[in-house]
Amino acid sequence: MTAIPRSIRFPRRFDATPYALVGPAVALIALVYGYPVIRIVVDSFLAPTASGGRILSVANYGFVVDDPVFWKSAGNNIYLLAGVPVMTALALLVATVLFERIRGWRIYRTLVFTPYILAVPVIGATFVYLYGFNGIVNTLLRGAGAGGLAQDWLGNAKLVVPSILSVIIYRELGFGVMLFLARMASVKEELYEAAMLDGAGWWDRLRYITIPQLRSVIGFFIVIELITMLSWVFAYVYSMTGGGPGFASSVLELYIWKNAFAYRAVGIASAVAVLLLVSTSVLVVVQLLVRRGSAETGEE
Amino acid sequence: MRTSVQRLGGLLVAAGLILGACSGTASPAPSASPAASASAAAASSSPAASTAAGPVELTFWYWAESDAPGADKWMADTVAAYHAAHPNVTVKVVPQSTDTLQSAFQTAAASNSGPDIASQWATGPVLSFVWTGAVSPISDLVPADELKHWLNTNENTYQGKVWAAPMYLLGIGLAYNKELFAKAGVTPPTGDRWTWDEFLAASAKLKAAGITPFVGGDKNGYLGAWWFANVGGQQLDSAQDLVKAVVGNVPFTDPKYTGWYSELEKLVKNGYVNDDVMSLDLDQGVRLFQQGKGAMAFTTDGMLATAITQLGGDKVGVMRPPKWGSGTLADAGNATQSISFFVTKWSVHQQEAADFLTYLHTADRLKAWYAATGVVAADDRFDASLVTTPQLQQMAKFETTGPQVWLENWIPPQLDGDADIPAGQLIFSGSGTAADAGALWERVAGTWRSAHPDELANWQNLLK
Repeated sequence: MTAIPRSIRFPRRFDATPYALVGPAVALIALVYGYPVIRIVVDSFLAPTASGGRILSVANYGFVVDDPVFWKSAGNNIYLLAGVPVMTALALLVATVLFERIRGWRIYRTLVFTPYILAVPVIGATFVYLYGFNGIVNTLLRGAGAGGLAQDWLGNAKLVVPSILSVIIYRELGFGVMLFLARMASVKEELYEAAMLDGAGWWDRLRYITIPQLRSVIGFFIVIELITMLSWVFAYVYSMTGGGPGFASSVLELYIWKNAFAYRAVGIASAVAVLLLVSTSVLVVVQLLVRRGSAETGEE
Repeated sequence: MRTSVQRLGGLLVAAGLILGACSGTASPAPSASPAASASAAAASSSPAASTAAGPVELTFWYWAESDAPGADKWMADTVAAYHAAHPNVTVKVVPQSTDTLQSAFQTAAASNSGPDIASQWATGPVLSFVWTGAVSPISDLVPADELKHWLNTNENTYQGKVWAAPMYLLGIGLAYNKELFAKAGVTPPTGDRWTWDEFLAASAKLKAAGITPFVGGDKNGYLGAWWFANVGGQQLDSAQDLVKAVVGNVPFTDPKYTGWYSELEKLVKNGYVNDDVMSLDLDQGVRLFQQGKGAMAFTTDGMLATAITQLGGDKVGVMRPPKWGSGTLADAGNATQSISFFVTKWSVHQQEAADFLTYLHTADRLKAWYAATGVVAADDRFDASLVTTPQLQQMAKFETTGPQVWLENWIPPQLDGDADIPAGQLIFSGSGTAADAGALWERVAGTWRSAHPDELANWQNLLK
């Protein structure tokens, strides 16, 4: 006679205890994270009427698509994305140099990381003085006989976004350096020793050992910074230029903020927020796939 | 069965969230039917009975220091004096930032909670909150025989009610440095202003003498907004002419409205403006004049007082902004109460709040106001003999003679933020032309009209 499994003969009683214990936390997270997302999506489909009511409509998305300021803002965010490879390469280079334990490396490490722990408005206000037309940078340039290079870094519509990008790179670099240094510390020393015995120079060690070993961390950093450039640059722009001159340095977060809080166009702000959410969600999925790929290949 | 419970639990949570979101949107939006909301608000806001016996704490979101340096100190002294006279009333003053003045109150209004007294710039900004039902009419809380002494109340009058209280009158003059003028061989006007051609000619002479003719700062956009308010409207005959363009009856690209940007462009291209104008905020730009680094600057009474202190009274003169246009407004003054104080609809101490605002207009407080700021109070009981400095007497005369219109008050916040301010920045930064500025005004006005049909209806009522 075939034995009947115990789980069928005597089904276990449903145990609600774990659910009761995590329930309040899940409810709080759902309230804090879930409700605003649902609310924004709903609001993006509600447009005001002349009588003061609101109706279901895609009009808000229409306003956004027709607004050149939206496209300018989105274009600026896309421009900022181009700074991520530069930032990554710089962070890797600095981390590699620091990992060599050059004299004073601890001091340099502190100097590199300090901007990352300062509040963004502090950095923004400081660079307003540095980048002013008669600010410190231009004063030094003029003093060195290079007055022709002195520009209105934040007041010139063509230079303002690259100038803001330089400030973002200055601050975010420290995060990358610390990430890469931490990962480098766990790379097997024997790999480097063996390479040196084979005559590999600094560049060969970087190219054939360091970078492959840091691949998952580099991928993580790139995705995080891509998300930063899309949705965490408001404080830089607001403290340095307010989106000006004109709309030359406007970004999507500033566009959302102005419409939501200054102009009471909550529907339009919500529509842009939804578009931004979708964009960053794609990046989050990419980041998860990268991490899964690294886990499967045993890099982590 | 375990999997089914998980699925059911997840569905219930999701359903709860969706129902919560939708129920929040089922009720009418804060910006309810135009005019009707203001009338309903007026009808329902019966003054709260005074609770003088119990402790009262009033929160006041206050802004004035940027217009009138010394205003914060005066308010601190006023609060202390009021508390001494009314021990059960405590006023908590929360200074507001210029950049977030409107957005911060917008958040409060959306949540129907916040200060008992708030500050907004007159007319457009105040009325925009009246239309959303966030304001109690001050004329329902202050006796008529007191209200009649307050000046420029027309700036916040709508449907027969006065909605906010003035505190001071702010006019913009064109301050000039007599020493720099003499160095360049420039003679100040014999009357109270130059024509535009005379202004340009003087600027050319100053530049030839190695002096920066006009100094200012437009990084935050307010210099361009001042140019618009003082010169830009000079082809119009009334503030209602501007409202006609706002509501779409006439285009902003009409030279009557934005043709003056060509003149501003000339000023910038000829090098008559300081080269770091886009690196400085408005206040920082005026400081250049106060430090003797420029020959002319737009100035308020308070800024002029500071210039007189720093440069010396014998070196500073003031005239009215140059005359460019030929409309009725070209001869009007530009004084405004600038900031207005109002009682919020949700305040549970509306009468006490109004009593405090009335206290600001007592003789002692008006005198102390002038002593602290050098700015004329918006009250016909203000003792004009307190103004002893000749230049400030001139400013007071400009501000109280003839009709006064501050044009920037007569546009919605979105036009101010997305058209007025950026248009000036396009010109000062050299990144746009006068035509671009005009096109920007027209496009933003069109967007605002389409996205805010409720507000459009309210603005159309201003023409009736």
